[in-house]
Amino acid sequence: MRLVLSWLKEFVDIDASADDVAGRLGLRGFEVASVEALAGGDAVIDFEITANRPDCLSVLGLAREVATAFDRPLRLPSTDADARVRLAELPVARADGVRVTIEDEELCPRYAALVADVSLGPSPAWLAARLEAAGVRPISTIVDVTNYVNLEIGQPMHAFDAARIAGGEIRVRRAKPGETITTLDGVDRKLDPDMLVIADRDRAQAIAGVMGGAASEVSASTTRVVFESAYFKATSVRRTSKRLGLKTEASTRFERGADIGAQVTAIQRATALMERLGAGRPAGSIVDVFPRPRPAVALHLRRDRLARLLGAAVPDGDTERILGGLGLGVARAADGWDVVAPTFRVDLLREVDLIEEVGRHYGFDSLEPRFPPLTELAPPPDARVARDQLVRRVLMPAGLSEAITFGFIEAKAAELFADDAIRVTNPLSGKFDTLRPSLLPGLVDAVAHNRRHGRRDVRLFEVGTRFAAAGETRSVGVAWTGAATIDHWSGAAREVDFFDVKGIAEHMAAAFRVAVRFEPSRAPYLVAGQAAAIVVADGAERGAPLGLAGVLAPNVADARGLPRQDRVCVAELDLDLLDRARAIASDAAVPLARHPFVVRDLSIVVAETLPAEIIRGTILTAGGRLPAPLVASTFFDRYQGTGVPEGAVSVSVRLTFQAPDRTLTDAEVNQSVDKVLAALVREHGAIQR
Amino acid sequence: MSELPPSEDAVAAHVAAFERELAAAKAGRDAQTVRDRYLGRKNSIVASWMQLVGGAPPDAKKTIGRYANELKQAIETRWKAYEQSARDRAPAGAVDITLPGRIPLLGRRHPLTIVRDRMESIFTRMGFTIVEGPEVEDEWHCFDALNMPAAHPARDMQDTLYLASPMPPLAGDDDPRTMLRTHTSAVQIRYMLTHQPPVRIVAPGKVYRKDDLDLTHTPNFTQMEGLVVGEGISLADLKGTLLAFGRDMFGDRSRIRLRPSFFPYTEPSAEVDISCWSCDGAGCAMCKRSGWIEILGCGMVHPAVFEAVGYDAEKYTGFAWGIGIERVAILRYQVEDIRLFYENDLRFLEQFPY
Repeated sequence: MRLVLSWLKEFVDIDASADDVAGRLGLRGFEVASVEALAGGDAVIDFEITANRPDCLSVLGLAREVATAFDRPLRLPSTDADARVRLAELPVARADGVRVTIEDEELCPRYAALVADVSLGPSPAWLAARLEAAGVRPISTIVDVTNYVNLEIGQPMHAFDAARIAGGEIRVRRAKPGETITTLDGVDRKLDPDMLVIADRDRAQAIAGVMGGAASEVSASTTRVVFESAYFKATSVRRTSKRLGLKTEASTRFERGADIGAQVTAIQRATALMERLGAGRPAGSIVDVFPRPRPAVALHLRRDRLARLLGAAVPDGDTERILGGLGLGVARAADGWDVVAPTFRVDLLREVDLIEEVGRHYGFDSLEPRFPPLTELAPPPDARVARDQLVRRVLMPAGLSEAITFGFIEAKAAELFADDAIRVTNPLSGKFDTLRPSLLPGLVDAVAHNRRHGRRDVRLFEVGTRFAAAGETRSVGVAWTGAATIDHWSGAAREVDFFDVKGIAEHMAAAFRVAVRFEPSRAPYLVAGQAAAIVVADGAERGAPLGLAGVLAPNVADARGLPRQDRVCVAELDLDLLDRARAIASDAAVPLARHPFVVRDLSIVVAETLPAEIIRGTILTAGGRLPAPLVASTFFDRYQGTGVPEGAVSVSVRLTFQAPDRTLTDAEVNQSVDKVLAALVREHGAIQR
Repeated sequence: MSELPPSEDAVAAHVAAFERELAAAKAGRDAQTVRDRYLGRKNSIVASWMQLVGGAPPDAKKTIGRYANELKQAIETRWKAYEQSARDRAPAGAVDITLPGRIPLLGRRHPLTIVRDRMESIFTRMGFTIVEGPEVEDEWHCFDALNMPAAHPARDMQDTLYLASPMPPLAGDDDPRTMLRTHTSAVQIRYMLTHQPPVRIVAPGKVYRKDDLDLTHTPNFTQMEGLVVGEGISLADLKGTLLAFGRDMFGDRSRIRLRPSFFPYTEPSAEVDISCWSCDGAGCAMCKRSGWIEILGCGMVHPAVFEAVGYDAEKYTGFAWGIGIERVAILRYQVEDIRLFYENDLRFLEQFPY
């Protein structure tokens, strides 16, 4: 709302500068977008009016705030001959020159009209200048008068060319199915029966509260007009404006709530202006159709409640001055005040709304800061907070930096990772039209961004939500390209491979004490043969798919703008499942073994297709019934080449034996190693090297 | 030689002998033995001369004392020089210690996480509990329960993104979830429905709006909601809480200013400005000459919200706020383009502390 300072001063006597006014109202709920100087010492202040204050989309509404803020009286428009803002004195009738019928009282509870004889011309400079300063283009006297009144008192008005109103009849009704209208902007618009129109005997002449029709537009040849000053239901205007994609000065006011008490005043004000400009004279009485006048909203404000909510005792005098200044009816009651909310304050519905009014003008600055007393220990935080922190604590020391990407991605990227990603109905653009089914697409794009900017080694992870038809889950994704080890003068860095991301997954599972196994995966976005599904191996969630680890397929890398030859290793784990699968282990420390351990290495040759996991299984099974307890077995070498037959592989395993109660003898250990070897020979035809 | 009586010649002789023996010493340990023989506390040459001072006739005391001190100082000076030069000599197996070391790979926290962690820790110290909620919501939790019924113009204030296929309701809810939450305020509702006052929570998380991507907007960003409910909670308490936060986050000298505003779910509502920490409120380029920087929106919980979750709006009052984590990060780190937070360029990420 662009408030012209000189216009404001017609309502309040203040010496204040535009900056003073802007400063005071800025701290009372009216954010200032700009203050501009105008010619002749005038100025215009552009206020951002919040949605709850349609009354302040007018000079009068803001004048009330200024009057209260500066503690000056407000000069209301009046029919007095010497009034600064004068209203024409006119009789009111049910019908005079035009018959008004409201067919839908719910959507239009009040409709006032006046027929006037006019001669159109350009407005005088002072009026044109004011409109322009307020951001409205001057058109002709009659149109300018309606716009002036709208800006001044906030009641939208319209003028129809009376000659074009068939039957001298105004019918406020819903649009008929298939009905159309050409609006003032020259656009043909299809209406529907949810929309309210202003019709004459034959057809729609305006879309109620939104825009007039071209057919009855006032023009240079117009000699008689019908002024409209009505109240339309906010939700109806809002729906119509939204559906037509048509926002106007009028619709903006109506959809936030107009003043149901202002219709006649607006016509009186328009008439006074019209007469002052010599642009026309009323041809009869004001027609005011208002079948069911509304009772004023009566509210009660308790002194104690006011003090408790604000946390300050506001002196009674201040409370009364503020509420009275804003135009509210205030009467003292035993515990506070009985308050009547005027019709222009559509936002005042309950006691707390009055507390806001007092607080706003009393000044939030005057409140002494306090601290709410703590009465009990805070309950524990959402378990996901600590869990996500643990994930970061595990991954950052592994050299991975945290990325954060958007929750939505483009369909093209999502399709590479999932078939059934959820789409957004009204996306901002194609780039953000799909909810991410996985964190990997976003991470791969982040890797591509870094590669494009000359970064060779990229190690990223993200903790975030992913979406599927069944719901949302939180996961951790990892994307790693380039070096797996640091670049150092002492030796070249090793390039990342499958086992780096597998290691990350194992490390993560171990951090959560979840036993996992890895199975070959056929995920289409991973390189076949270097892709593993991670599965929970134990407990209640045994068999549940926890995630994937592998090397990104070159066609996927290529599609996301990565060099084809880049090896990007990725992994993703379902954190919610990881949390559920967490073993509830005792946190008691295990005593350290007091007897020495014995290590034996065993090298065997087996078929190269035999998975290490199977060999390990055989060793562990055999290890269950040995004279010397087997406490660990690790693969420490894998060799193919000279000395090993084609199609075979030499595998070296380190076996660790240890007994809790005694020192093992050589004989026990030898016997145990022999048994393990025998099992490997029996199960896999292993040959000892 | 130790029997030499203290004299100028004796001092010179001892010093010369010391130098010879030190030069002959092969290892550090031998040199130490030589030194101890001359300079040790007991049974050394210097110690024996010092003893002579005690037993000497009064007229000789002064002279003997002077020679003893001369000897002591001369030996000490030479020992120090020897130690220094021993240190300077490169031992076997020496490396060029100026070559770069192997720096362990250590990843970084995202700056938004750094800020979020910091804020969580500040509010945790104030007795707040951290809670989270779903990113896909139903309209009741995101709007209706927050005093924004379907026809309310306030729903236009936050352009909402809807799903083409709804997600099933969460356990205990009725409505399928059809939209991406536009604010973390929905978490307030979920928390109040399942907990009784007193309430003191912060709810960080991602929110989604149909906002264009530009220097100051991203369609996906992070908020932290705060909510305090109890008996007698006032706007002054809100002010004190936010002041404490502001001082911890932006500096001890910070002041805050509440400007009345409008949100459907709070009444009264306010925008909060913090005094510019760059100019301490005097006005500079950072605060656009105003001395103040807007950081968040807040207010006293609207009674309609309490009614929606079944709280007694007469008995309980409360306050709530929503703060943009990107906003705080932008201000703290003087980031000029919000999009940097989502590009994940390592040149950017690596600028922030571990």
